Amino acid sequence: MPTTMLEAPRATLDSPAMTSEQDESGQVDASAAAAARRDDFAEQAMQYADQLYAAAMRMTRNPADAADLVQETLLKAYTAYGSFKPGTNLRAWLYRIQTNTYINTYRKQQRRPFEAPLDDMEEWQIGDAESFTSTSSRSAEAEAIHRMPSGIVKDALQQVPVDFRMAVYWVDVEGLSYAETAEVMETPTGTVMSRLHRGRKLLRGLLADYAREQGIEVPESTEKGKKP
Amino acid sequence: MSTVEAKKDCTQARAALEEYLHKELCAEDAADVRAHLDTCEECSAEHHVGETLTSALQGACKDRAPEDLRERLLASLRAAKAQHD
Repeated sequence: MPTTMLEAPRATLDSPAMTSEQDESGQVDASAAAAARRDDFAEQAMQYADQLYAAAMRMTRNPADAADLVQETLLKAYTAYGSFKPGTNLRAWLYRIQTNTYINTYRKQQRRPFEAPLDDMEEWQIGDAESFTSTSSRSAEAEAIHRMPSGIVKDALQQVPVDFRMAVYWVDVEGLSYAETAEVMETPTGTVMSRLHRGRKLLRGLLADYAREQGIEVPESTEKGKKP
Repeated sequence: MSTVEAKKDCTQARAALEEYLHKELCAEDAADVRAHLDTCEECSAEHHVGETLTSALQGACKDRAPEDLRERLLASLRAAKAQHD
């Protein structure tokens, strides 16, 4: 992902826009309106506390970092609330700030080898190996996923590289559209689609592995052992 | 329909299945996929795996913000507001 894509919008989101000092140049109405909107912010944003926390848990994978990330996200959003366009999707706007905050703070801190986003479309365009498995083994796979304890599903998701994991999270769990997810992740829609596809595929492989360990017959996963 | 044509239908449907699942297709394309799923057991089974995966994920990711975090968030927003006013 080119850094410039992250830099440009971040400048707006992170800048302490709409401070009262700036508005002293005669824009009293604007300042009052901004203040009224800020009053409204806590109430609006707190509605999404659970969702922001759940997303933060997916990103950071631990409760302490997740809590810090949500707090930092809300404070940044509070400062930047003047740049939020009323009537647009507040939830997606908050997620975008959260994503930027995560990338700028936590991802750097983790000092893990950078999870290369492998956004190439190759595999997406090539047909899937899974198309060779039979209907009955697919039914077995669906049944196995359906019976999978939710803790196992969550753990499997947490093992998927973060860019793929979050694409799956935004679309499948949060129900964001591809376009909204593209805005949150600041990537083209095509990138969202390929991340989503690869994330879901990896997840299927992990869940199939688990099912097989439990002695359930499911088709061989397609990306098993292949580190993304 | 010839076997070749049927396979072509499957390939097209499979390529669009994820977008179909996420309701990202236009009405016309969605109708084509739906029509294919009605007649093709294998693609229908593949679609069912996809639906099951989505609902398993939704069931698995229901974290709630702990109460102490909520209090902490409200307190920090109050502090930020006090700085502004």
